[in-house]
Amino acid sequence: MADVFKKVEPAEYYRRHLTHDARPDGRQLLAFRDVVVSVGTIGTADGSALVRLGGGGTTVVCGVKAELASPRPDTPARGYVVPNVELPALCAATLRPGPPTALAQTLSQAMADLIENSGCVDAGALCVSPGRLVWALHVDAVCLAHNGNLADACAAAVVAALRDTTLPAITIDDETGRVRVDSGRERAPVAASAFPVAASFAKFDNDILFADPTAEEEALATATVTVATLEDGSLCLLHKAGGSAMTEKELQQCVDRAQVRGAELRHLVNKVAASKEC
Amino acid sequence: MSCLKQSNLRGFACEQSCLTRSDGSATFNQGETTVLAAVYGPVEVKLSKEHVEKAAVDVIYKPKVGIPGCKEKATEQLIKSTCETVLLVALHPRTAVVIVLQEMQNTGSLLSCCINACCQALMDAGINMRCLVCAVTTTVDQEGHIILDPTSKQEEDGKAVLTFAFDSKTNGVIMTTTSGIYSSQEYQECLLSAQHASAKIFEFYRDSILKKLSRVS
Amino acid sequence: MAGVEVVSEQGFRTDGRKPNELRRIRCKQGVFSHADGSAYIEQGNTKVLATVYGPHEIRGSRSKALHDRAYVNCQFSMATFSTGERKQRPRGDRKSTEMTMHMKQTFEATILTQLYPRSQIDIFVEVLQADGGNFAACVNAATLALIDAGIPLKDYVCACTVGFVDDVTIVDINHLEETNHIAEFTVAMLPKSEQFVMLEMSSRLHLDHLSKVMDMATKACKDVHLVLDRAVRDHVSEVWQQLGNT
Repeated sequence: MADVFKKVEPAEYYRRHLTHDARPDGRQLLAFRDVVVSVGTIGTADGSALVRLGGGGTTVVCGVKAELASPRPDTPARGYVVPNVELPALCAATLRPGPPTALAQTLSQAMADLIENSGCVDAGALCVSPGRLVWALHVDAVCLAHNGNLADACAAAVVAALRDTTLPAITIDDETGRVRVDSGRERAPVAASAFPVAASFAKFDNDILFADPTAEEEALATATVTVATLEDGSLCLLHKAGGSAMTEKELQQCVDRAQVRGAELRHLVNKVAASKEC
Repeated sequence: MSCLKQSNLRGFACEQSCLTRSDGSATFNQGETTVLAAVYGPVEVKLSKEHVEKAAVDVIYKPKVGIPGCKEKATEQLIKSTCETVLLVALHPRTAVVIVLQEMQNTGSLLSCCINACCQALMDAGINMRCLVCAVTTTVDQEGHIILDPTSKQEEDGKAVLTFAFDSKTNGVIMTTTSGIYSSQEYQECLLSAQHASAKIFEFYRDSILKKLSRVS
Repeated sequence: MAGVEVVSEQGFRTDGRKPNELRRIRCKQGVFSHADGSAYIEQGNTKVLATVYGPHEIRGSRSKALHDRAYVNCQFSMATFSTGERKQRPRGDRKSTEMTMHMKQTFEATILTQLYPRSQIDIFVEVLQADGGNFAACVNAATLALIDAGIPLKDYVCACTVGFVDDVTIVDINHLEETNHIAEFTVAMLPKSEQFVMLEMSSRLHLDHLSKVMDMATKACKDVHLVLDRAVRDHVSEVWQQLGNT
């Protein structure tokens, strides 16, 4: 019976739950789903991470591939990062094979903004030989299952993968100009100390605030906000694209919750990375 | 709010109905930044984009040079969902409202200029709207001072650029997007000064409409 | 022979396997709840994820609908980070299109499509890490996903690669062996009836050796079948227990 009610009147179904301050999946309004992070899952990539929200409801795998390239003319001594988010048809029943959807493009741009704003990659360290050779990091996040809140999952996967990425040492022969990978020397990490964490919120019926919305909740939401925080409490991304208006108080509430969430996720990723090393 | 450094916006100008073939159009200037917006709608919609319960809003953003890339697509999405919020899309099911934006000149605060141009063009087209929308860009400079409606140079030199869009009824935040690093206190201060400045833009909207209507009569 | 010796004098391969030894297969069905069927398989270092949607009504152009059977829609895709060298396009290149075609033909021959006229079955596979035998792993993963989705099949489709080098037949070749220009077979078969549904050979092979190679391939596919069948039975009994039955 509940299934039929949910199908016919999805909004009313949610409202009934919300009168008891709980969501249909049993979470509190500002509770996030459980996160599982594993790093170094893809052997062929230079760095990789897999993030699952809510037991595989939303799953994103991200692999970083480093390639040697010539630097961009305006930044001769800096490498660059090319993030890309893919939503293949396998990740949700509603998606069809074809060119990247608007959502995938928006997410790709959001990841690019996140990496650039937060400075979580030391672009100076990606330089091999100024003006001649730099590393280009291709950061590809593939969504394997989509059940809402892709922004957080992608951000976590991208940042965890970047923190897992190491680059081989390169030697350039001055006379012949030949580039050689020096496998004897240790691989160097690329990540800087900045560790951005994104947290998303959805607004329902113009006044109730949810954290970490599922796909169903996203469809019902009247607005969504994504906040990315850094370790020192500063913000590096605050994105709200349209939807019902929010007051500065509500935004502040999101920011405060995102700070707490950021600390939790940072702790988790650092723990996973540490357990991989030993 | 001691740290508000530049509290006045650059001069605005707006010309509505500058194109003859579109249902509504407007050019909007903020300082030297100029955007041309054209609105077509409600028009017939492509089957793949059709919604049974509302009009589909389609935004096409054309940069001054080059072809639109991922960044432009993200801007389109942002403007699209902002416009969808203020338009009464439910009145025109199975149709589309197409908004074409052409960047003419960019000397900073481009995104807010785009949204303001959109709103003017939508008003010109006479499509039913829930409320008006206006956008304000702010910058936090290296010393933590807030600059309203920054120029490109100020945007580049600052540590963060924040853009807000407000609705005219509740003055709530419809859209917000940021780049750079800033503290949550700075965010709140930018938001408040932008909100304050939005009143001026709404006043300008009113004046420009009054002027236009007095010309018609 | 140039490069690495594929099979050493002692009769071992570069990764220490015997010629007729498969790589370790680990698989899991029902990894995602959003799809009708899903499966993940690891064959050595080759990791593949498959999801199945359907049977559902035709999406996109109606003209694809077949009046007497289901339309099978496949997509083969390789993540850009799955290979040693970064792949430029995950799908849509010639190799992926060819793989997609082979998948489609393989499963059109195996699914009882006549049971679902005017409907569509989607099979999507994503290679997350490639280390040789990608197509075989994809077929095995797709079979598990189809079983998970409860779509009737004639039999399991078990796929395997076989190589022939220096008078020795080696099964389940990895990427290193693949690059050594050996005669390579990709075989997909229905193990119960011993029927081949897909057979592809690259390079050159004397006809005299063919029967030997095919025997080896049949044996390998039957081995794969044992592993897959075990996994399916384990999964079903696990689900059965979760439902509160003993």
